[in-house]
Amino acid sequence: MQRVRSFLLLCFITTTAVAAEPHWSLQPMKCAVVSGGSHPIDFFIGKKLREKKLTFSTEADRITLFRRVTLDLTGLLPSPTEVRTFVRDARPKDEVFMEVVDRLLASPRHGERWAQHWLDVIRWAETVGFETNGERSEAWHYRDWVIHALNTDLPYDKFLRDQLAGDITGADAALGFLVAGPANLPGQVGRDEEAMRSARQDELDEVIRTVSQGLLGLTIGCARCHDHKFDPILQRDYYGMQAIFAGLRYGNRRLRGAKNDEWTSQVPVKQKQLADLKAKLERQRAQLELRKPLDSVHSDEFTQITARAIRMNIRATANGSAASLYEFEAWTTDGTNAALASGGARASASSFALANQTRHFENLTDGSVDRRQAFPWVAAKGGSAWLRVDFVEPVTLKRITWHNGSSVPADYTIEVQRPDGEWQRVAHTEDRLPRNDDTRGASQVKLKNLSVDQTQALVSIIATIRKTEGELNRLAAGPQIYAASFTTPDPTWLLERGDPMQRLAKLAPAIPAALGQAEIEPGAPEPRRRLALAKHLTQPGHPLTARVLVNRVWQNHFGNGLVDTPSDFGKMGTAPTHPELLDWLALEFIRQGWSLKKLHRLIVTSRTYRQASHPSEQALRVDADARLLWRFPPRRLEAEAIRDCMLSISGKLNLEMGGRGFDFFNQRGGLSDYVPKQTFDANGWRRMIYAHKVRMQAVDIFGAFDCPDAGQMKPRRTRSITPVQSLSLLNSPFANRQAAFFSERVRREADNGEAAQINLAFRLACAREPKPSEQQALEQLAMEHGLEQACRVLFNSSTFLYLQ
Amino acid sequence: MSLNRRQFLTHTMHGFSGVALAAMLAEEARGESPKIDPAKPYTPRPTHFAPKAKRVIEVFCSGALSHVDTFDYKPELIRRHGQPLPGNEKLVSFQGPNGNLTQPLWTFRPRGQCEKMVSDLVPHIGALADEICFLHSLTNKSNTHGPAENVMNTGFAFDGFPSMGAWVNYALGSENQNLPAFVAIEDPRGMPQSGPNNWANGFLPAAFQGTPFSSTKPIRFLQRPKGISAAKDEATHAALRVLEKENLTDFPYDANLAARISSYELAARMQLTVPEAANLKVEPAHIRKLYGADSANKNKAAFANNCILARRLVERGVRFVQLFNGAYASGGNINWDGHSRLKEQYDVHGEILDQPVAGLLRDLKQRGLLEDTLVVFATEFGRMPMFQAGTYGRDHNPNGFTAWLAGAGVKGGTSHGTTDEFGFRASENVITPHDFHATIFHLLGLDHEKLTYYHNGIQRRLTDVHGQVIREPLA
Repeated sequence: MQRVRSFLLLCFITTTAVAAEPHWSLQPMKCAVVSGGSHPIDFFIGKKLREKKLTFSTEADRITLFRRVTLDLTGLLPSPTEVRTFVRDARPKDEVFMEVVDRLLASPRHGERWAQHWLDVIRWAETVGFETNGERSEAWHYRDWVIHALNTDLPYDKFLRDQLAGDITGADAALGFLVAGPANLPGQVGRDEEAMRSARQDELDEVIRTVSQGLLGLTIGCARCHDHKFDPILQRDYYGMQAIFAGLRYGNRRLRGAKNDEWTSQVPVKQKQLADLKAKLERQRAQLELRKPLDSVHSDEFTQITARAIRMNIRATANGSAASLYEFEAWTTDGTNAALASGGARASASSFALANQTRHFENLTDGSVDRRQAFPWVAAKGGSAWLRVDFVEPVTLKRITWHNGSSVPADYTIEVQRPDGEWQRVAHTEDRLPRNDDTRGASQVKLKNLSVDQTQALVSIIATIRKTEGELNRLAAGPQIYAASFTTPDPTWLLERGDPMQRLAKLAPAIPAALGQAEIEPGAPEPRRRLALAKHLTQPGHPLTARVLVNRVWQNHFGNGLVDTPSDFGKMGTAPTHPELLDWLALEFIRQGWSLKKLHRLIVTSRTYRQASHPSEQALRVDADARLLWRFPPRRLEAEAIRDCMLSISGKLNLEMGGRGFDFFNQRGGLSDYVPKQTFDANGWRRMIYAHKVRMQAVDIFGAFDCPDAGQMKPRRTRSITPVQSLSLLNSPFANRQAAFFSERVRREADNGEAAQINLAFRLACAREPKPSEQQALEQLAMEHGLEQACRVLFNSSTFLYLQ
Repeated sequence: MSLNRRQFLTHTMHGFSGVALAAMLAEEARGESPKIDPAKPYTPRPTHFAPKAKRVIEVFCSGALSHVDTFDYKPELIRRHGQPLPGNEKLVSFQGPNGNLTQPLWTFRPRGQCEKMVSDLVPHIGALADEICFLHSLTNKSNTHGPAENVMNTGFAFDGFPSMGAWVNYALGSENQNLPAFVAIEDPRGMPQSGPNNWANGFLPAAFQGTPFSSTKPIRFLQRPKGISAAKDEATHAALRVLEKENLTDFPYDANLAARISSYELAARMQLTVPEAANLKVEPAHIRKLYGADSANKNKAAFANNCILARRLVERGVRFVQLFNGAYASGGNINWDGHSRLKEQYDVHGEILDQPVAGLLRDLKQRGLLEDTLVVFATEFGRMPMFQAGTYGRDHNPNGFTAWLAGAGVKGGTSHGTTDEFGFRASENVITPHDFHATIFHLLGLDHEKLTYYHNGIQRRLTDVHGQVIREPLA
């Protein structure tokens, strides 16, 4: 060991001796010469193998290879018929294999499979995270956009540009990328300046992490508080990057396209309808001699009167919830507000609600209606309520003003207590036309001098107006998607140790200096900043963009990347096992127009990919993880592939694409109390990528198979092995129900006895024919305990669960 | 590391899933990260130095337990009741403006030989003051429940970092190969605020995550499906073994396939051991009474049962047990978040907490388990010495609050760190959550700076780049 260590130490010293050179990943890509006429990938892999005195394994048998490439490119199993056709095809095997690869790449199933790899990288989910974890109901458009982009082989440079600037390139849904991460909701942020600034910094930090780790393979996020400890990224680079996104907002935005155009075209008609309805209501109001509806901040004027106290009796609110006001003001003839606690006025009320924040009646007279800093009075419960203000000494009033709180008073009287102690009514609502948002039924609306029918007619017009307004708002806003939207950027500051309260200097938008210069002038308009970044990233000579991407693709084909820290190409990441190959692939990828499908094709047609996956004792000694690829490294299928394959084998898989996701839980968002669904119908038998993705909630059964919960970016999944997995696949109702469907299907398709049934079941799950011992064990089980149990065993077998 | 090259290669082949030599050397240079054999992830692994504690029970009060109403006695707060907090008369905290100083809502009395002042809200725990080292100067950098719970249990405010229990499981494995090494016991009233993130494996392998179950919520899918007899189930297992063995002959030396076989074996053993461990019916009446499991109060009885379960688990060698008291945000109705009606709500919660936790400590002690079991009592932050304006409760206070330690390696009957005269802010020997974690690790024989795991560009630690072991509480 000591000797080996010294040797490595020597290498280390040798490399550090030329420390002036930039880190390998920041150096230009080098185009190595491929010689010998073999597949270029095999040239590089073979060279390294020879250096270690290793050799390629033999080519995998046809069935194994077919199963492997089908699972790898589509995440589903080949059917027994497809297997048979492939095996029996007499044409040259390369030709047949090429044809298969092209068919698989053209299948819509391909995008569904590979989109998940991308969503893992950026920890995409359909809830906000943090403690509220509320639903992002329109986020699924982005998932569909990614699937579509991969299926149509959208060149990666365009894929990237759309995700940074889809508002300019006409791909609004692609902007879901920037806001894929968690973000605290404004309501969850404290009310002080520091908390609000911190929350904004955190929001933008998530964007920087997504962009820098996802696209650049750099952990720029590490430079938020200090210069990067290992990589040439300065703290000012972090904030330069932040400035690029300083105009970004989380939330829903308009999704442009045919639907939007159609909705927009309907707006004028709706506007006209609404105007007509309002005119009709106004005519009736005039006719019935009603006063105009209450505003949300409303003043009642009256003949001046001397008052010791004043009270408001609220009998009903517009939406039926508890009475609530932010402020109650009593204005004197000399223009001062006498109802201020600071002036000695004393507030009281029938009750006040107890909540996490004050709802006390003192809030009525605190002189503030700032909804970010002050609080309203809210009565303890719905129904009638009163509030009262006593003055220090009698005052002469001529007007009151109230500011609505969490509800708006709809039916009330105002009374003044005269110096003689008598109460006198000075204002009321009995001849007020109800507001458009007044949801009370006609029987609850008490208007003086109106017949029941007249009231009913008014209430019904108001309800129609409300509905029409809602419709108009919906059409005018257009179809909505959850994606980044943009406003004029705030200035960006370099922050002392990342503390939002310690601003050091204003910074212009910039990419990290170590990557060169993107042309972004300090005052660049918002979209120019993002476009400049996109342009920088997609320039053909960029040292990171293509390298990072081809490495991700490689990783998902072979289980390990050439660089096994796929989102960290910095000094803390690992060096590539095959630097020449990485560069060659990256350059070839660019040369082929950034086509992902061409890249897949290149990789899976190599000898390296087509090798058998069997171990060799001698090779294991040298390279246990097969990082040098002396075999195709076998690996367990991902959670999604396991579920999708179980459903496809059982005959229940629903291949409907796109749209709102199906549910794994009883709720689509929220802080707690998620109850996993135990059984599913056809909608829940869609591919797992179409499951509504709740952040920080491990999915039942499949969460245990390392399906990430989108709490953190997951560029590379762990592949753990736990007893919880075993219990889930053996005992869960889902697994057992699917095993039953599986056995029914087998009985339907092979009704001639256990032997044939087991043979078919085995081929459905594992593609190959069962070996005699396997056939016998399953057949015996089926005979003694039913076919369903044999199917249950197959779901748990490594031959089914592994990509070999 | 004293393996010679030959041993190393043999080890690589049979043992862990073969790491490239350079990577292994790098690991060595980086610290003392444990080497995990995927076939046996829970094998006991050595500590960094001789430990005082072999296992941990962490009682976690979700919702933020008020220190000024329980363990942190402030005579000045009683004297100045009804006056504004000097120097912070207009303090705006998490939920908004604060009112005046409000004395503790329960009377404090001296308890134990050490005469520690503890309030009448937790008299049973108070009676054990001689076993406890109170830490009065905890602080948290977040004042929001979810992130602050994350800080207390994972060291980071953001989601997605490994929990303390997962780190311990990763470092030490387990003394019992038939039970999960790390168990999270939820409160009978519901999940804590940041839910499973409290026992997440984060970026550590999934084998190290906490397994959640409680006296009211068994392990999911533990038992064979209804309608499948034991014989049928066993026949299924037998057939599966044939298939797996066959597969292993095609792929000899594959550590992962071997690991899958052993995971099925562990699952099968768990089907027997978990029900046995969780069978509280065998507990005698006097033990149930000690914990309060005989209470007519359904929630108290259920929490007491959870405490008994915790004892039964550590008794069987489970390494780390989290025991939650209090559920998610609920206006303080089912956790310690007393913003609006603290007295009324805490009277309910106190009864559920007090006797069962005290019973647990007494029971561990009488069985000799307290000698090598560390009991940690924590919460995400404290509460203000004032009432909030317009309510009868206290707002969040991350500037100073109380946690305590008892058992293995802990100097009982002592207090460390203080808050100011009102309990508003930690003033002496201020403790960060990182210090707290470093100290717990220390008692387990772990150096918090050496236990690392590479993730996204950083050798991650539970304590980030901070943390100092607090020496004073250590016996």
